[in-house]
Amino acid sequence: MARYLLTRAWQSAVTLLLSTIVVFVGVRALPGDPALALAGEDRSPEALEAIRRHYGLDQPLPVQFAQYVERMAQGDFGVSIRTGTPVSSMLTTALPVTVELSVLAILIASALGVGAGVLAAVRRGRPAEWLANGLALIGLSVPHFWLGLLAILYLSVATGLFPASGFVPILEDPVDNLHHIVLPAVILGTGLAAIIMRQTRSAMLDSLSSDYVRTAKAKGLRPRAVITRHALRNSLIVVVTVVGLQLGGLISGAVVTEQIFGLPGFGKMTIDAVFQRDYPVIQAVVLLTAAAYIVINLFVDLLYSVIDPRIRVTGDPA
Amino acid sequence: MTNLSVRETTLPRRRVLRAAVAAVAVVCTAVACSPVSNSDGGNPSGGDQSAGQDAFGTPADPASVKQGGNLVIALSAEPDALDPTLSRSLYSRYVFQAMCEKLYDVNEQAQVVPQLATALPTTSDDGRTVTIPLRPGVRFADGTAFDSAAVKATLQRHLTNARSARKSELGPIDGVDTPDAQTVVLRLKQPFAPLLGALADRAGMIMSAQALQARGDDFASAPVCVGPFKFAKRVPQNSIEVVRDPNYYDASKVHLDGISWRILTDASIRAANLRSGDAQVADSVSTQDVASLRQDAAVSVLQSQSLGYQGLTINVGNVDGVGTTPKPINRPLAQNAKVRQAFEHAIDRKALVDAVFNGEHAVACSPISPASTFSSPEAQTCPAHDPAKAKQLLAEAGVQTPYEVTMLASNTPDTLRLAQALQSMVKDGGFDLKINPVEYSSLLDEQDRGNFELLQLGWSGRIDPDANITNFVGTGGSQNVAGYRNPQLDTLLTQARQAGDVEQRRKLYGQAVTLLQQDDALIYLYRQRNLTAVSKQVQGLQVYPDGVIRAAFAGFGK
Repeated sequence: MARYLLTRAWQSAVTLLLSTIVVFVGVRALPGDPALALAGEDRSPEALEAIRRHYGLDQPLPVQFAQYVERMAQGDFGVSIRTGTPVSSMLTTALPVTVELSVLAILIASALGVGAGVLAAVRRGRPAEWLANGLALIGLSVPHFWLGLLAILYLSVATGLFPASGFVPILEDPVDNLHHIVLPAVILGTGLAAIIMRQTRSAMLDSLSSDYVRTAKAKGLRPRAVITRHALRNSLIVVVTVVGLQLGGLISGAVVTEQIFGLPGFGKMTIDAVFQRDYPVIQAVVLLTAAAYIVINLFVDLLYSVIDPRIRVTGDPA
Repeated sequence: MTNLSVRETTLPRRRVLRAAVAAVAVVCTAVACSPVSNSDGGNPSGGDQSAGQDAFGTPADPASVKQGGNLVIALSAEPDALDPTLSRSLYSRYVFQAMCEKLYDVNEQAQVVPQLATALPTTSDDGRTVTIPLRPGVRFADGTAFDSAAVKATLQRHLTNARSARKSELGPIDGVDTPDAQTVVLRLKQPFAPLLGALADRAGMIMSAQALQARGDDFASAPVCVGPFKFAKRVPQNSIEVVRDPNYYDASKVHLDGISWRILTDASIRAANLRSGDAQVADSVSTQDVASLRQDAAVSVLQSQSLGYQGLTINVGNVDGVGTTPKPINRPLAQNAKVRQAFEHAIDRKALVDAVFNGEHAVACSPISPASTFSSPEAQTCPAHDPAKAKQLLAEAGVQTPYEVTMLASNTPDTLRLAQALQSMVKDGGFDLKINPVEYSSLLDEQDRGNFELLQLGWSGRIDPDANITNFVGTGGSQNVAGYRNPQLDTLLTQARQAGDVEQRRKLYGQAVTLLQQDDALIYLYRQRNLTAVSKQVQGLQVYPDGVIRAAFAGFGK
């Protein structure tokens, strides 16, 4: 186990370093000049020069990269070119919002997806399965932004059940926080719920027709116990893999969802930074996202062994 | 590839547009040939108005407004640094309006009026000494006194900070004197008439000297000025909050406890927030949404014609980038003014505004708004829409038709619709317009490098015409991206800058517009109308021609 973790940590460090280079070069390969984006309407050559000098953009690229890596190593993400705010403080504000939104979306998606998947498998060929399949198809096909707009129109504007935008930190008022974030989390979770449902249904169908389930039934176990303790537990490994793989989709979905609901999260910060060519912010968010991918993949791999004790992680390459 | 896809996808729309353009053209020929008047300004006060008319809103009636409450304004873009010296974004001005008063302000008639000054400045006979009397008994939000020393500290920061966006606006200031606590004297190297307009914008926002000393370049993290509200909190890329300032000298006029600006970039989301009650004000309402909002009994729409413009810039000499010496470009559009005039004659501005913006915006043929004090009949003359003349001019210039021109434009839906309408329209004048849509930051980059033939972009506008003209068409102007040079125009603009008399400046700007329309390096198309939707619960919210939302003295109705 320890050897495995060491190998993974080493691989992660290399991946992270490569990501740093890709992010740094990629951001600068974008057409457009951050000094121009910041200068807005009132720009003169002197002002542009002063902006470039202030943010070190007048330095040669290798020098900029060395400074960037050095600062990153010290945990200093620099200062936003657009707002003049330290990027670390922007991350401190934005990260909890996106983490809360994503965790809640995963929970909602898992509950809906697993529940509907099990139901569809157990009630195969009946209306319940058709309904679950139909809903999954809608969940997969409808884009987040459109669903979000519909939700605002019917659940905020028409009925006033949920706020149309805004965010209240959880420590400030937990109830109001939930009131603001439930709707975006449901919208964000719909696509994932549909995928989980399809995978759970398919895995459950395999499990239900396997020998160990037949044996469990023959032992006289009640149907509920057969489904939850035997079939579902073995199917969950697929669900965990799917959730891990879909994390990328969840983050890109968060970009749109946060934009629609005006949530001050990571996604909104990323998209605004890209449009404004705010290099320090783009670099920080992309790097943190890469780091999050690495950590979550590791976490998913470790989770396999918890769900299925037959799987043991080792340091040997697969 | 991109050009091709735009042209392909626009075919059905083009037919519709062409029909609309043709129908409107029959009716509006007379209008297109006539001077642009400010009669479409209509009744400038009051509440709801129909399309194409100004409605600035009315001040709150203290008897019908209750004390307290937090106003939420849905803002279409994020303000940049909340530092009057460094700020370069139009949206920062919305926030500053509530917390950073200026030496001078603008009224409904786009005239400059005193704010932290007690009267308009007096200028010496040689135009080189400007004396400003200051309001006594005023305190900054941190409790320190507002006096001439604070004004001097602010102006010196504007003039000396390396990243200052105010330096060029303040012009040739040689020094600032403070003969007493309530008087400031500005010494100029030469007369500079646009100074007053600058002092009615961010250059005139006075910052607390104590806060400047304490925070230096980090002033934007907790700005301290004189204003009805003071800074409370900013969540980057999401919201800005201000709360009522008990130190404010005219506190009885303030009704709200606080104002929050929430950044919601999508127009339909802003409209939804307004309808759900999560926000009470939404700026930059889309011309597509405004008709339905006008029909909403709970919402009123304020409309003010911008002092700026939207136009087409033709690259006539920008080869090595903006600010460099113009060089000849081997293209008929760049070399021959007749080809540019032909392009202008091929455009029917009225039909364009009607077809693309539902008639919400106003036709513009010059950089001077009809609402400006410096407007004149010459400044509002409009070259007629005349496709036959366009073809004739092209023939005289020896250009084969259809003459292909590529236009760089931002990839926003509104701009693309405008570009497609233009594409269809100029065809009748002998032009084959290709559209090259790019993302906004890239557009700015390409523009400054001179990598374009024709480009669509605009300017939000300032109160003094100099700030709307000289930088854009004056030789060596910081935003003269066309690479345009006309010594005769430069002379007129310099004279207008130094003239102390309004009538003289008006005449000079009229002559400048005539020259601009002869050379046509910048073809002015239309003036946006700032559309702001306000819940009828709110009273006293106003939007003047400078486009700034004035929420400081608003309140919730009883």
